[in-house]
Amino acid sequence: MKRVCLKIVSISKAIIFLLVSTVAVVSPADASTSVAIVKKVSGSAAIVRQGQTIRATHGLEVWESDMLRTGRNGSIGILFNDDTLLSMGPGSVLVIDEFVFAPKQGKFSIVIKMVKGTAAYLSGLISKLSPDSTYIKTPTASIGIRGTKFVIKVEGE
Amino acid sequence: MKRWSSLVVGWIVFCFLTGCATHRTKRDLIVLLPDPDGKVGAITVTTNADSQVIDKPGYGIVVEDPNKAPAAPKPIHENEIKEVFGQALSAQPDLSNRFLLFILYFENDTTKLTPESKALLSEVLKNIKSRKSNEVYIVGHTDLVGREAYNIDLSSKRARHVRDWLISNSITPGALFVSYYGKSRPLVSTKDEVPEPRNRRVEVIVR
Repeated sequence: MKRVCLKIVSISKAIIFLLVSTVAVVSPADASTSVAIVKKVSGSAAIVRQGQTIRATHGLEVWESDMLRTGRNGSIGILFNDDTLLSMGPGSVLVIDEFVFAPKQGKFSIVIKMVKGTAAYLSGLISKLSPDSTYIKTPTASIGIRGTKFVIKVEGE
Repeated sequence: MKRWSSLVVGWIVFCFLTGCATHRTKRDLIVLLPDPDGKVGAITVTTNADSQVIDKPGYGIVVEDPNKAPAAPKPIHENEIKEVFGQALSAQPDLSNRFLLFILYFENDTTKLTPESKALLSEVLKNIKSRKSNEVYIVGHTDLVGREAYNIDLSSKRARHVRDWLISNSITPGALFVSYYGKSRPLVSTKDEVPEPRNRRVEVIVR
């Protein structure tokens, strides 16, 4: 009997956890504001937003939590609100986990999850104003960026 | 002799079929490049075990195992950079100059601008006027010498000094947004209590 009770408790805990985590996942996307804009596209490239795939075209907005992917012949370049430049070569996937550029509140952060492929990055204002708030996460490492340009390749799955 | 050659052939065939062991391990490659303006920043590569800093352009780090320390950076051949990253690099958008950033430096423990920064301030003014900007951020900082409360006050005074000067040169107060962080956001990381002229600064961002 006790075991059954425990099980029920743990199941309800799991349900609560699921509910809470869904809320947590949904809320940033609700605050849907543009954090970047697509400036260059060639071949096939898309943005996956809340399960929907949107074909990338020049001028398309990029939101926080968006996943960007390029096809085997595709490439894409985006310009963030703080003038950071990010571009991806073919067969690449990355997620804009976090982008905060609020000089009035003194809040700055960029977190990008690189899943696979190649990317080039050139820092904008955020890394100048708040040098330790930009990170790229890869499956093997975390990369802290201090005002600079670099390229990255992730072999992924 | 014959045995050796058949071994080599066998190995080549094996490599061909499997893609070879070295290619099969998942690995990340990170290469630092010079900025368009020639300056070079730094990146820190951190795994579960340790971290490494790359601060020379053209140097890169290969990471294969998240639980091992990353290897020391080594030079990566230009051809390899071109071959691997050529398409990603050519997809980079053009630099936009939606913002201009100016960094004004101050004499130690004062609100007195260095002579070079005094000259730069007139440049700031010129740019605000030519862009007709109504969004200018003025952000004050100090180095890490002294107590936090003292430095917050000093950074606020530095930022207000710049603001007041701009206002006295006929910039509308409504266009100027002041913030200050004391010693909490050094441009150059130092230990506490280390004097560092590059951290005694006010950043002005003109939109």
